[in-house]
Amino acid sequence: MAGRVDSDKLKEKASDNLNDLPTFNAENMQNNAKVMYYSRTFMSIIGGVVAGILGLTGLMGFVFYFLIMGITSAGLAAKAGFSIHSYFDSWNKILLDGFFGGLMSFVLFWTFAYDIVHIF
Amino acid sequence: MGVGFVVGVLGVLILSHAAYSTIQYRALLKITEEEFSGPPINVVVELIAGLMLCMWAALTVPGKFLSILPHSDENRVVALPENLDFMIFNHRGKAIPMGIDAKLK
Repeated sequence: MAGRVDSDKLKEKASDNLNDLPTFNAENMQNNAKVMYYSRTFMSIIGGVVAGILGLTGLMGFVFYFLIMGITSAGLAAKAGFSIHSYFDSWNKILLDGFFGGLMSFVLFWTFAYDIVHIF
Repeated sequence: MGVGFVVGVLGVLILSHAAYSTIQYRALLKITEEEFSGPPINVVVELIAGLMLCMWAALTVPGKFLSILPHSDENRVVALPENLDFMIFNHRGKAIPMGIDAKLK
């Protein structure tokens, strides 16, 4: 009786019990998050400079920021080949991560460029 | 890394040239005492070109995306248990010359 139970257990492969998909490779996840963070920060800075040169003020500037972030998200999705699940664990990460972190850099460089171009 | 970096620098140079053109345009407007409603069309084209170049550099320079699936081909060694409970040092391996594959990194 005990022998039969044991042979059933032997027939199971190791991968049958692995509910491994929720635990991802953490180092690569961190690498992907870092890459996304750098891309978004650089694009917010460039977007700020362009908004300052264009002379945008008030709400139009923030609309421009959301536009730049949307284009950056689309670019990142294209870079991942649109098969998001092999690089990130959810769609939210690629669309929203670092969205508001870049806002501060955007406003800083926006006022900087606006001052240089339009006030001095 | 090299090409993307150069493209990024080129984009930034184009943006600074556009900024300089806008400053000159504003000086001209001050002379003729008109309102600044927007930069001239060639500056806008330059800004769009600079933005495209910088966007391309921003997507390629920081590095590639690495797969996070535990069973994909490039993640093969991750499944090794790394804690000391599974490491045996007193075995016949000490008779073999050291040829450890660098894949463990």
